Amino acid sequence: MASNRALLASPRFVCRSCSRQARSSSSYRRSYATTSSPSHDIYDVVCIGGGPAGLSLLTALRANPTTSRLRVALIEAQDLSKTASFSLPPTQFSNRCSSLTPTTAQFLNTIGAWPHMKRSRIQEFHEMQVWDGVTDARIEFDWQPGSYASQGNVIAYMAENLNITSGLLKRIKELGGVDVFDNSRVEKITFGEETEDFDLREWPVVHLQSGKSLAARLLVGADGANSPVRAFAGIESRGWDYGRHGVVATLELEGDGWGGEYRKTAYQRFLPTGPVAMLPLPGNYATLVWSTTPANAALLKKLAPKDLIALINAAFRLSPVDLAYMHTQSTGQDDELAWRTQHTHFDPEAVPQMVVGVQEGSVASFPLKFRHADTYIGERIALVGDAAHTVHPLAGQGLNQGQGDIQSLVKTIEYAVAHGQDLGTQMSLESYNSERYAANHVLMGVCDKLHKLYSVESGPLIPLRSLGLKAANALGPLKSFFMEQASGRGLRV
Amino acid sequence: MPAPTRAVAAAASGFSRRLVPATVTAAPSTAATTTTPSPTSPTSRCHSTFSSVNPNEVSHFTALAAEWWEPHGSSRLLHLMNPLRHDLIRACLAESSPASSSSSSFSSTTTTSTSTGIPDASITYLDIGCGGGIFAESAARLPSTKHVTAIDPTPSVLAVAKAHARKDPSLAGKLTYKLTSVEQLPVPTADGEGYDVVTLFEVLEHVDDPAAFLDRVRPLVKPGGWLVMSTIARTWMSWLTTNLIAEDILRIVPPGTHDWNKYINEDELRGYLAGKGWDSAKVVGVVYVPGLGWREVKGSEKVGNYFFAVRKV
Repeated sequence: MASNRALLASPRFVCRSCSRQARSSSSYRRSYATTSSPSHDIYDVVCIGGGPAGLSLLTALRANPTTSRLRVALIEAQDLSKTASFSLPPTQFSNRCSSLTPTTAQFLNTIGAWPHMKRSRIQEFHEMQVWDGVTDARIEFDWQPGSYASQGNVIAYMAENLNITSGLLKRIKELGGVDVFDNSRVEKITFGEETEDFDLREWPVVHLQSGKSLAARLLVGADGANSPVRAFAGIESRGWDYGRHGVVATLELEGDGWGGEYRKTAYQRFLPTGPVAMLPLPGNYATLVWSTTPANAALLKKLAPKDLIALINAAFRLSPVDLAYMHTQSTGQDDELAWRTQHTHFDPEAVPQMVVGVQEGSVASFPLKFRHADTYIGERIALVGDAAHTVHPLAGQGLNQGQGDIQSLVKTIEYAVAHGQDLGTQMSLESYNSERYAANHVLMGVCDKLHKLYSVESGPLIPLRSLGLKAANALGPLKSFFMEQASGRGLRV
Repeated sequence: MPAPTRAVAAAASGFSRRLVPATVTAAPSTAATTTTPSPTSPTSRCHSTFSSVNPNEVSHFTALAAEWWEPHGSSRLLHLMNPLRHDLIRACLAESSPASSSSSSFSSTTTTSTSTGIPDASITYLDIGCGGGIFAESAARLPSTKHVTAIDPTPSVLAVAKAHARKDPSLAGKLTYKLTSVEQLPVPTADGEGYDVVTLFEVLEHVDDPAAFLDRVRPLVKPGGWLVMSTIARTWMSWLTTNLIAEDILRIVPPGTHDWNKYINEDELRGYLAGKGWDSAKVVGVVYVPGLGWREVKGSEKVGNYFFAVRKV
């Protein structure tokens, strides 16, 4: 992907002469004062961050006939050519995977990115098994016959993040018209200046280390949890750390699942230290997301492969007491599991198939945080994805929330453009904020409360939560409701 | 005999102004693009005998100028209403099918915006009573717009409009503000001249003689072009909502903005325009629902705010 390639022949919203005329009257750096005064390149939308959220924003804007006239730019610190050419053998999977709800998948298809993703590396699943590690109360999610949801009964699609971003990048290349500045570090963000012709004092200007500067009608922060755009806009992000780390790994199983190749199941068990989840990948592979204490996470990363495999198998089978003991061992989990399994009763087909291998170099961990920005918008500012909200990964909703943000923001921008509004003003962005803030707030609240509820090992809450799961399992309509939510087809809040 | 001469001269000037306004108004308007017409100049004095501009209205809007672009300021309801204006204009322009229009602007060789079906840079607008430029700016941003001329008689309001337009480089060359009134605009002489769309948004309820005012506006519209207006019906409901609740109780509209007695009912407006060479009338009643914004409500033109559009035959 060539940097700074102006693929858009004639930007209609901002003429070339405007960009040329918007010269800076005051200098930011001494070097400017001695050379010619810097001129900002004027864009309608500048997006910082080339992750799934930022890339699908630009793809959607380019794919939409109303917004395709906008002059847009992407700024990304990393080299995107490596992402675009993402390629791994079918026996290897990246450890960063996301579950895409059918709603998200449909959106990626609508904007034309889905066909550019490697379909053979995406695994849909049709069932979810969720159970309480302390009481074993269990809820089985599979689509009831005649339930509202259809679309091949898919609950979600597991995809590598790299597969998603690579597909989006290929689609962006196909569409053209995005000025891509990758390998580019943002030196600073300032406000523009007033000149003889224009008053850009309310326009954010992004200064790249290369000396290039981009004035943005709308600056989108898709720049992650520590969003520099959010900091520039002075928007607070509040929340807390869970004191937990998420451990991820690519696993090899003894088979391709109890239901075979075409009927896969996702598993999640709530342990007192946090939920452990195993999500299916194509063939006999799966991805692990285990949220646990930082000390446990450190141990998992240190263990020899056979002991790590044993501990993962134990996490889905043994009692929390047994598991806690095995976390005190620095080695020998393999033998410990063999011995303890004989004394533990469980239905082998109600838990995932045995893990037989861990892909080398795939074990990694990251701290879990709960963060929610006070608002997603400011004057000429919009925040999307992790820059706006960071959620506990137990429901696998992080990426889907970001994609929901993009759908809403693009709709908002489209409306503004179609009605001649300045798309960067807070007035034009209001509907994005009101639509997404409430929706994300509800989902984040549910995930946060689930985490807290299942972090309790004893006391009055335990029988209640088990009762809750058992009751929910018995009630078809209630289960359907949960599944509609999980697959993104649920009630819009 | 000095006295009869003056009387004849006065009558003649009034007569000529009414019948052939082009000859009287064409001259000063070109000079009046940015400056206030001086009341002492002979040309403008003859206009002062008929003016659509009410001095009380001018001073009221002067006081509101500073807040015009505040998203939560006194003009918030106008900002929220603005998209609906474009929806109506789009519906009007869609009716002017390329085949039936004699205008060369609808030539088949021009690029057409795929999303609207209107050729790029083809439509000219005249926004009368543009205020701070809420509509004028938005019209100028549309790809289908060739040019927008926006006029207002209140200097401080127009200063706000001009200062605000500088904040968006894409408006340069597409939007011209003029501190003037309708009477001082040049009247097109040839048939192809005039504007495709002339807009009077929330203006009619602020002028003293709407019927005469509309007669003055007509020559500015290109044959086949549209006159698009919005105003408020004079009903007990509109008094309750726009005067009592919006202005006096909730204060979401500055007190003194509306004079209920100057509101115009839809049938009155139809009466002013009847037999004057307009057709294809469209009316859309709109209601502001707190928390939801402006909504089109069928039949509400009889009750409160409404849009009215007619095509010049």
